[in-house]
Amino acid sequence: MIQLTLHNLKIMARNRHSTFWALFFPLLLVVVFGLFQVGNFGGADVNVVNNSTNEASKEFIAQISSNNFFEVSQVDSIETALTRLNNGETEYVLTIPSEFNYNMDGTLSLQYTDQDPQQNEITLLMLSNLLNQSNAEFSSRNLIQTIELKKPETTYFDTVLLGLVGLGIMTNSIISIAVKISNYRNQSILKRMLVTPLPIWKFFASEIAAHLILAIIQAIIILGLGILLFGASIRGNPASLLFIILMGSIVFLNIGFIMSAWTNSPSAASGMGNAIALPMIFFSGTFFSVTTLPWIMPVVSQVLPLTPMLSALRDIGLNGYPIWSVWQDIAALAAWIVVTSIIAIKVFRFS
Amino acid sequence: MDEAIRVESLKKYYGKFAAVDDISFNVQSGEIFGILGPNGAGKTTTLEILEGLHSPNDGSVTVLNLDVLKHPKEIKSRIGVQLQSSAYYDYLNLLEILTLLASFYPPNVRANPTEILRKVDLENKSRQRVNTLSGGEKQRFTIAASLINNPELLILDEPTTGLDPRSRRNIWQLIEGINQSGITVVLTTHYMDEAEALCRRIAIMDNGHLIAVDTPANLRASLEYQHAVKLTVETPLTEAQIVSLNNLDADIETKSENTYAIKLKGGTASLDLLLKSIVADNVKFQNLEITPVTLEDVFLDLTGNELQEAP
Repeated sequence: MIQLTLHNLKIMARNRHSTFWALFFPLLLVVVFGLFQVGNFGGADVNVVNNSTNEASKEFIAQISSNNFFEVSQVDSIETALTRLNNGETEYVLTIPSEFNYNMDGTLSLQYTDQDPQQNEITLLMLSNLLNQSNAEFSSRNLIQTIELKKPETTYFDTVLLGLVGLGIMTNSIISIAVKISNYRNQSILKRMLVTPLPIWKFFASEIAAHLILAIIQAIIILGLGILLFGASIRGNPASLLFIILMGSIVFLNIGFIMSAWTNSPSAASGMGNAIALPMIFFSGTFFSVTTLPWIMPVVSQVLPLTPMLSALRDIGLNGYPIWSVWQDIAALAAWIVVTSIIAIKVFRFS
Repeated sequence: MDEAIRVESLKKYYGKFAAVDDISFNVQSGEIFGILGPNGAGKTTTLEILEGLHSPNDGSVTVLNLDVLKHPKEIKSRIGVQLQSSAYYDYLNLLEILTLLASFYPPNVRANPTEILRKVDLENKSRQRVNTLSGGEKQRFTIAASLINNPELLILDEPTTGLDPRSRRNIWQLIEGINQSGITVVLTTHYMDEAEALCRRIAIMDNGHLIAVDTPANLRASLEYQHAVKLTVETPLTEAQIVSLNNLDADIETKSENTYAIKLKGGTASLDLLLKSIVADNVKFQNLEITPVTLEDVFLDLTGNELQEAP
């Protein structure tokens, strides 16, 4: 069986094309999100909380909006704005006082984190310049009160990075196994195995073992890239993360086996695998929180296997929770393993 | 003599369709046994039951004196199997595939992969992949793969289908060599020349039925006639000429206006009479073909159908 597992790994290593592309897609997303995160070179993403209703405040907002340096969006409450700041969804929170006017009776408040001091300086300077232009009279006065916050514990990128680990492992497990088994069946390789005395469970066990090793390598590459290149911070016990990754991977491999049985050709298996994987990427909250989804979507999300996997990965990886605290997610994954194993064994076809 | 295979009243249904309908035969140890029949005759199904891929609906099957239902694993480790259209891993070379296959068998039966490749003359391609091989080489490789466990019985499903004549002869020699080393061989084919050239005994199958089992010579001798004559004449034969030919021990069938198929009974002696009669009756012939009966004729006689569609 070890022989078979090693040969399987050898096959994957030589089938560079598909293995590379399977790994490439989530990595591409890591790079995209990583660049997106640090990408506003020379610009500042500002959330404005306007506590005033007067013309002056509106005029002022219009003024900063028209400046190319600022990416301005208005937010209703300071709480929302600070949450967004903490999640890394914005860089600055600018609060306009209710008594704002051109006499500058009140003080503007600018809140930001200590993540990028250089950019903070530039932003502050740009904002002062704008104010000076609007009303030179008050240029001497220090109009901006700055509040520097601690760099947030977790950034949006950290959250997405763990989502991408789940995404990569899910798509790779489902599609690669579905296509592979479909190929083996079409080429009678499965039949050829059956005429040898090899117990068939060993055949499956070695396929699963080889793919689990691939999943681990994939997770290491995705997390490594995110951490080393884009400064993601992932906490938690690596062994706990690994455990969740393996559980999720087994569920998705089983789904891949089922897909291969339900289709007659490798391309159909690939299509069906994609059709299953893609909606799951969105409904399980890989990129954004599912609680904001309308209608029954949050409920749908709860019954998908990627949801508990991501939830456990984030609780452990972002919050550093111990593994027993995510027992509900583990139980959900275990249930998925049992159900998909039973279906896979029932529907599997050798020819 | 020992029996390598014994099949008794074997039946296999797919739904209502009887793929194999009550067949019985046995294969002696050390012989090359052929199952001859057209596509869809039930040859492959029969083999796959022997190999343990399907279970019979009825009847009993023993391979190497073991019941296929009770000892599938032991049978599998003692027989070598070449499937009709089996491919092998795309991303492994020949040596690696054989090494992998060998690992599926108990250590005491494993053959040396390099030696096996030498046996089928593919030693110099051991680092290549299957998809770089020619059709004949591929087929030799699949036979090599079936020898990986030093089998006592080798089952080959249409080993030469789709090959050019030279590669076919090459495979025949290989199979004969394997048989001479003491391995019993069972093969299916729809080529009667292959069955004739290789097999000590032949089972003829059609539509799931077993029609005859015997040596090629006995099967041919079982026909009423020993020679098939095809006569092409310049002008159609007259009544008198036909009557005269009919006086020979022969059946005359008019194939077209000026061609006649004559089934000539009575062995070599009647050949002489036929030629004399043609000369005496002053038949102007364009062409005269005389062939000893073949398994093709036997098949036609037994089933009323051609074994192969006309080329």
